[in-house]
Amino acid sequence: MELRLEKFTKAFGPVTVIQDMDLTVGSGEMMALLGPSGCGKSTTLFAICGIHKMTGGRLYFGDRDVTSVPAQQRSVGVVFQNYALYPHMTAEQNIGFPLKVMRQPKAEIAKEVQRLADLVQIGDLLDRRPAQLSGGQQQRVALARAMIRKPDVLLLDEPLANLDAKLRLEMRAEIRRIQRETGITAILVTHDQVEAMSMCDRIALMRDGKIVQLDTPERMYADPASQFVAGFLGNPPISFLPARAGEQLAIGQSQVLPRPAGLEVQGDIVLGIRPEHFGPQHGQGLHGEVIFVEPQGREELVDVQLDGGGILRAILPTGDPVKLGDRVNWGVSGGNILAFSTEGVRL
Amino acid sequence: MKTRLLAFGFLSPALIAVFFFFLLPVLLTVVFAFTNMSTSTGIMGGAYQINETQMGSLRDTEVSPESIEKLEGAGYLISEAGLAALAEEFGEDTAEELRDDYLGETFAARRDLERVLRNLDDPIRNTRDRKAAADLFVSTVIGERFDTAEDFRAALVETGIDPADHDLLTEFAYTGWTWTTANFSLLAELPSTMRYASNTAFYVVCTLTFNILFGLFLAISTFYLPGRLANTFRAIWFLPRILPPVLYVLMWNWFTWDRGFIATVAGWFGAPQQNWMLHTSTHAWTAVILINGFVGASLGMILFSSAIKAIPTSMLYASEVDGANRWQQVRYIILPQMRWPILFMTSYQTLSLLTSFEYILLATDGGPGRSTEVWALAAYHTALNNYGGNLQYGLGAAYALALVFIGIALSILYLRFFNFKELLSKPRIEQ
Repeated sequence: MELRLEKFTKAFGPVTVIQDMDLTVGSGEMMALLGPSGCGKSTTLFAICGIHKMTGGRLYFGDRDVTSVPAQQRSVGVVFQNYALYPHMTAEQNIGFPLKVMRQPKAEIAKEVQRLADLVQIGDLLDRRPAQLSGGQQQRVALARAMIRKPDVLLLDEPLANLDAKLRLEMRAEIRRIQRETGITAILVTHDQVEAMSMCDRIALMRDGKIVQLDTPERMYADPASQFVAGFLGNPPISFLPARAGEQLAIGQSQVLPRPAGLEVQGDIVLGIRPEHFGPQHGQGLHGEVIFVEPQGREELVDVQLDGGGILRAILPTGDPVKLGDRVNWGVSGGNILAFSTEGVRL
Repeated sequence: MKTRLLAFGFLSPALIAVFFFFLLPVLLTVVFAFTNMSTSTGIMGGAYQINETQMGSLRDTEVSPESIEKLEGAGYLISEAGLAALAEEFGEDTAEELRDDYLGETFAARRDLERVLRNLDDPIRNTRDRKAAADLFVSTVIGERFDTAEDFRAALVETGIDPADHDLLTEFAYTGWTWTTANFSLLAELPSTMRYASNTAFYVVCTLTFNILFGLFLAISTFYLPGRLANTFRAIWFLPRILPPVLYVLMWNWFTWDRGFIATVAGWFGAPQQNWMLHTSTHAWTAVILINGFVGASLGMILFSSAIKAIPTSMLYASEVDGANRWQQVRYIILPQMRWPILFMTSYQTLSLLTSFEYILLATDGGPGRSTEVWALAAYHTALNNYGGNLQYGLGAAYALALVFIGIALSILYLRFFNFKELLSKPRIEQ
């Protein structure tokens, strides 16, 4: 079911957190609300599920205006960051709780619980209490509980934040699989760009209560709308390099890069160069000294202090004989240079 | 070793306090309960004395009538003790003469002895001296105070009372306390015991129920109120607890007085003027339960409120998006997680309600009649505030001792039943 926020405004007392936000999530789509902490993404989620009242604007599930419908009647499923399982109930009772409060017959509840337990693959853990479950299992229970009412929208609030790295990888795929299988419209709130990019169809990147860019992960990565977006996406992060646009791009005191096609401005700008676009595989052109090497197993992160000022990060396959203190002369993939104004606007 | 000593040193104030303020009172209660201590026996031991006024009750005992007659008519006896005193005051010769002629003789009246003294070869001439001298030979046991049992028995021997009656008389004459189990048999016999026990059970069950339910109601209802309003409400409901009991009950008295608030308002609707606290036992019980209930409920409210606040907000949010309405949220999410505080309040309040009686004392003093007299209050009345003036420490202690045992039994029951150990060792609310 399509979800539509129109001119959504949320204020806590005198502080306006979100002003006139518009957002449309397509039916069956998984949308990420991505942003640093305090950007208003959780506030948006709480407003969508009805826990917080909206100060202004309207919210539609499909054609139905649910702006003033209380949370209980909204048909949303929510997975909370700490899962918020009820500690005094077994997994089965937890999952069946939404149906229980709807006063459904016991047999019906048991059948539905079994169906959901099979979907999230915890059929043999149903009689355990949350305290007896691992983090990933709790996560699955929470997911099943959120989905049992067959809600119009599934909301996930930092669902992976409390898991260790390996489980996070596994649950990332799990959640996406379940969302695809059920075809449910889902919103994922996260501050982790990897989660957002790997799990979602589209990302709404938020900052200070506004959506700064709304796009598919690939396009957002390749074509960021601003320096903030470029900096937020990508791991290892992008390097920014102050430059002066003239005939060529002057970097620091002494070095130059060719002007990328289509760049029309003159004067001071900021270049964004991702680590994979700088290195020996892109030829030569920039001289510098290796000041930092961080082995990561399959690849190595290398920071290069450019002659005349500026630092660029490169990512190289392990085995490249680069040592701390080495002098290098590496090239940049010209077509992938991103240029921003000094205010951070994409040029 | 050193740290252990140090730990003991740090602990000692607490140990001393526990000993003096808990163990010692309990021990003394046990001791007192097995005595017949009262105001008349004192607590220090006693003397041997039979007074004129006790003669009537002496006749009801198994002491033989002859002995009683002798006790009453003993009069004056020329004894070695008397002679020794005489010798000291009136000279060896007079005493010697009297011994030779009259040792062992008795005189019913002082006049007879005085005549003998006047007619001696070496007479005592002064009338007043004669009277004083005669008094030295007073032999009656009646009205005389003897410090030890031996002295008393010696006096009985001198008076010539049948030795068969000595034991009975000694026992009768003893004014101090003795060891006895009579308190407990008395408790078992008295019909008032059952009455007090059932009063106590009724009082504890009703007040406890009111405490817990009303405390829960206040905690939950204020939980759903906006912050400042909730705090104001809690503060108001907390007043009974921070008010001095005397003041608090005094206000209740004014409230229920026969010219008080309720009576006045009810009077507008034609109700007869009456004391709404003491009119009937139903009125009294209602007042007692409400007075104690509001105090207990305010404590429960505070405890329950903080317990509710300890439930993670996200859990409450989750229940809301799961579709639970307020009532279902309370019923399925909040109450099950309040198990521990509710159990704690129940056991704590049971024990404190069993033993505390100050509010009842101040409000109804067990009245009307004895309808609101609970066990602890009965113990107090018996031991420390008896209308007749004879405070029966021993019997009162027996009442108290029974309460101590009930308290211990209930504590053990609660510990067992509620599995406190487990509850204390695990976090109350798991994440």
